[in-house]
Amino acid sequence: MDRRIFLGFAAPSMVIMTLLMVVPLAMAIWLGMHFMTYDNVLEPQWVGLRNYGDALGDERFWQSVTFTAIYIAVVVPSWIVIGFVVALLLDQVTGLARGVYLSVFLLPFIIVPVVGTIMFRQLFEPSGLLRWVYQELFNERFRYTEQTVKSLVLIHGIWHVTPFTLVVYFAGLQTLPQDLMEASGIDGASRLQKIRHIVIPHVRSLTLFILLFSIMDSYRVFDSVYVLTELNPLYKANTIMTYTFQTATQLERLGKANAMAVLTVIGIMVVLIPNLYLSWKEQIAER
Amino acid sequence: MDPVTSRPGRLLIHAFLLIFAIYSFVPFLWTTLQSIKKLKDASSRTPKFLFTPSLENYEELWLRSTPDNPEALAFLFLLALLILLCMLLFAQYIPLRRSIVYGAATLGFIALLWMMPRLLHTARFYDYFINTLVVTGGTILVSISIGCLAGYALARYAGLLGVVVLIAALAFRALPRLAYVLPYYWIGSALNLIDSHILVIVTLVAVNQPFTIWMLRSFFMEIPKDLEESAMVDGAGRLVAFLRVIIPVMWPGIVATALFTLLLAYNEFLLVRILTQTNWTLPVAISRFTGGEDPRHLTLAAAASVSATIPIVIVILFFQKQLVKGLAAGAVKG
Repeated sequence: MDRRIFLGFAAPSMVIMTLLMVVPLAMAIWLGMHFMTYDNVLEPQWVGLRNYGDALGDERFWQSVTFTAIYIAVVVPSWIVIGFVVALLLDQVTGLARGVYLSVFLLPFIIVPVVGTIMFRQLFEPSGLLRWVYQELFNERFRYTEQTVKSLVLIHGIWHVTPFTLVVYFAGLQTLPQDLMEASGIDGASRLQKIRHIVIPHVRSLTLFILLFSIMDSYRVFDSVYVLTELNPLYKANTIMTYTFQTATQLERLGKANAMAVLTVIGIMVVLIPNLYLSWKEQIAER
Repeated sequence: MDPVTSRPGRLLIHAFLLIFAIYSFVPFLWTTLQSIKKLKDASSRTPKFLFTPSLENYEELWLRSTPDNPEALAFLFLLALLILLCMLLFAQYIPLRRSIVYGAATLGFIALLWMMPRLLHTARFYDYFINTLVVTGGTILVSISIGCLAGYALARYAGLLGVVVLIAALAFRALPRLAYVLPYYWIGSALNLIDSHILVIVTLVAVNQPFTIWMLRSFFMEIPKDLEESAMVDGAGRLVAFLRVIIPVMWPGIVATALFTLLLAYNEFLLVRILTQTNWTLPVAISRFTGGEDPRHLTLAAAASVSATIPIVIVILFFQKQLVKGLAAGAVKG
């Protein structure tokens, strides 16, 4: 296929991606240099870099950055460990049971994130099941405080995305090198030794992939945190995304929100650039 | 891995899996229970497991007034649904061309949805449901059409430009949504398109395009080149060969990609929340029930959540294989 035909086929997709991804990104930088509220969307007022300075000097912005960092540090390792262990266990069952388990396990990940969060929250409403269990167990009332809301955000994060790592590891386990497994079995390797020396090295590239993608995904977590923290903004359980969203909607500072969005794009580059470099090398090699 | 054979070992494995299944499932179970309770039972501080089930929450959610003869209407509705489903399931036994049968069934569904507000006094929630169907359907149609062309080109073109496009797509897919969505708000305001389906569909197509072309490309790469080359030797042009020879063998790949596009569009919250004012889709409409002041919101949120989940459960049941394969393939192929 020559270049002309390639461009012909790819044109519609490339045009829409340029117009609605490259251009908006440039626009975000430009809009970030304006004072803009909902009253002057079409005649924003030029303020230069003041919005960027504002954002960087904003204590609540840094609070949201800290909580996002905590979120990534807690949730990503949990996804990887729980997903891997459950995948190993699921690999042990076959037939109908495997399909049924897999369907149930997938539910939290497949469901509409907002709906999943509301369902999760129903357990902790004043009449919720888990709130009642908590009260019976610890004999003290469960309250929405900064601590409990933050914990709920973390627990929900783990509940929501573990199915993804589980499925990826599960698929990886189906391609284990059988000859190596058998040979090590004959040599008397125990199950744990096999996991340690064959299975874990085998899924290493998957782990790297999951790690890069989960960090990027948890960095931009929005829907669940929005639903869980919506009741009271005083909980300070904002992540970068929800705080940017709040700046755009409740505080009506659209210019500043754009500036903050641009800052988060710069922030993600730490993980994104190594990821892109790896994919680039892989694609060039494949070519 | 080699299976554990000892009896206590197997019991232990099943016990752990069962616990994990309960952990995954409890929110669904509890919300479903809450949704069929009367408000008094649902807001009891000690959880009630024995109660008289009632559909009044669903009724309040979907209908503005109770119809005079609900049983007859429900019966007719289910009958129509059954006929349409049978048409789809047993399409191969009907002595007509497949495309005609599927087309007729689709038209039937649309007619059924269109009739509904005329037979019953449906509430706003029904409109949000229709909005969701329009947005999801539109996104799938546009996204897959242009994605197939690009995915095919990227699978067959060996030049450096192809790699550049792929890597750029990967980069744009990873960026936080808000960096696009806020400028979309500006574009939408400038074009006076805020609250329109077209803006939501076009922007959803754009933000999902990187994922779509990567996935479709990986399916196109599995199709041997000889296939279209032999057709082109026979005199067909590249586009004709693509449409007549490649697309027919691509259906499994298209279905799998459409499935993920469906989920992405159906689930989208942030973009729709910012670009619409009243023409919400289900996730945005449901998030409105979490405000907290009105006590009725407790059970209404439950009923709305269950209503929005039923289509997804059906999708999982029918397409579990494609879902698992797609999720895993995304990981293996990037």
